[in-house]
Amino acid sequence: MKTAILDIKNLHATVEGKEILKGLDLTILPGEVHAIMGPNGAGKSTLGAVLTGRPGYEVTEGTVLFCGRNIFEMSPEERAWAGLFLSFQYPIEIPGVTYTNFIKAALAAKRKAQGLEPLKGGDFLKLLKEKLAFVKMSPDFAKREVNVGFSGGEKKRAEIFQMAMLEPTLSILDETDSGLDVDALKIVADGVKALRTEETSTIIITHYHKLLEYIVPDVVHILKGGRIVKTGTRELVDIIESDGFDKF
Amino acid sequence: MATQTRILVLAPGLAAPAPLALSAGAGESIDIRVLVFPEVSANVDIKVDLTGEGASLNISGFYLCGAAENVAIRTEVNHRVPRCRSNQVINGVAGGQAKVAFYGKIVVAPDAVGTEAFQTNRNLLLSDAAVIDTKPQLEIYADDVQCSHGATVGKLDEMELFYMRSRGVPLKEARIMQIYSFLSPALAGMEEADKYSALLEEALRKI
Repeated sequence: MKTAILDIKNLHATVEGKEILKGLDLTILPGEVHAIMGPNGAGKSTLGAVLTGRPGYEVTEGTVLFCGRNIFEMSPEERAWAGLFLSFQYPIEIPGVTYTNFIKAALAAKRKAQGLEPLKGGDFLKLLKEKLAFVKMSPDFAKREVNVGFSGGEKKRAEIFQMAMLEPTLSILDETDSGLDVDALKIVADGVKALRTEETSTIIITHYHKLLEYIVPDVVHILKGGRIVKTGTRELVDIIESDGFDKF
Repeated sequence: MATQTRILVLAPGLAAPAPLALSAGAGESIDIRVLVFPEVSANVDIKVDLTGEGASLNISGFYLCGAAENVAIRTEVNHRVPRCRSNQVINGVAGGQAKVAFYGKIVVAPDAVGTEAFQTNRNLLLSDAAVIDTKPQLEIYADDVQCSHGATVGKLDEMELFYMRSRGVPLKEARIMQIYSFLSPALAGMEEADKYSALLEEALRKI
């Protein structure tokens, strides 16, 4: 049997003393695409935040193994080196830091953790241009300050660009589809699909069905009240689409 | 038009700069850079008189203190005649047990109409033991002027740090990138920008 990429058992987490996740279980195997759907406030974004180690979120109970390792013993950067990637719902702006320097530092640190030398300047730039083209962004974006002055759609595409640069084992797309027009949605979806492999997995967190028309999930979960209340196949998406979350 | 350029560098092994007093006549401009590197304690005193119409002044600078330095920077800009312009942007970082003070005074004389005088002093505190004292002072005796000053003291943005770390940038490296981006604008347009930029990066790695 394949080792799970992600194995969550009875996860409880609080934000500012308030319990948001209340015993969440989730297992993801290599190659799988899971969708997590749920109403606002269900704990969807909290899950992504807890998995990546965002400050302000406290885990009070439960275990999470990421590729067999206890994720809570790893710093946010160690999780990234091990192949975890979260596409932020609201990507952060970093004034004064260019995309080139940002992604160069990220990639070099990841390669170092893998015992590899940083890419040579020319090879890095080639990769950078290739991956920008992959999400249909002009090479000029590399010179710009990280996400500063980017439109909503550009920010989301830039997240997928970063994902393409870092080639994660597990990608979590947190509401990547919100606020995107159809063209940007398609670019994001094509990007995610092209990055799929037998060894890598994806979690799509969303409360719309739209992105799931482009990327068909293997497993669909409904997250409500801090727990997974229903797990099924893609047919669940249609049921939610017609009936909403109330019946779950 | 004549531009007088002065670069005041405080760094270990260099003599502390003497107080600087300059004046700019009609149409002249002055460009002053103040670069304070770690591990030096000193006072920087700058006084500029704008004495001819249309004179302009730029002061850009940074201070980076991460040990137990004691640094005081004083600027005094006197707009004595109409339609001169001055702009001061000084950003600073204090960590360790450093004590840093910035006193920026702008005086606009009664007949110095059409004056434009701006000053900003933004600070980052890296430790609880470091102290930053910032005192902007505006004395305006003329009408029809545009003046502003702003001083802030804050901390490194936690979400920016987390965002970088979530991509694999190590915490230390993320901090260096943030502080560098905060301080390096003071080097813009300098002839020896590359040299000082390298010094700044080197200093940041030691903090």
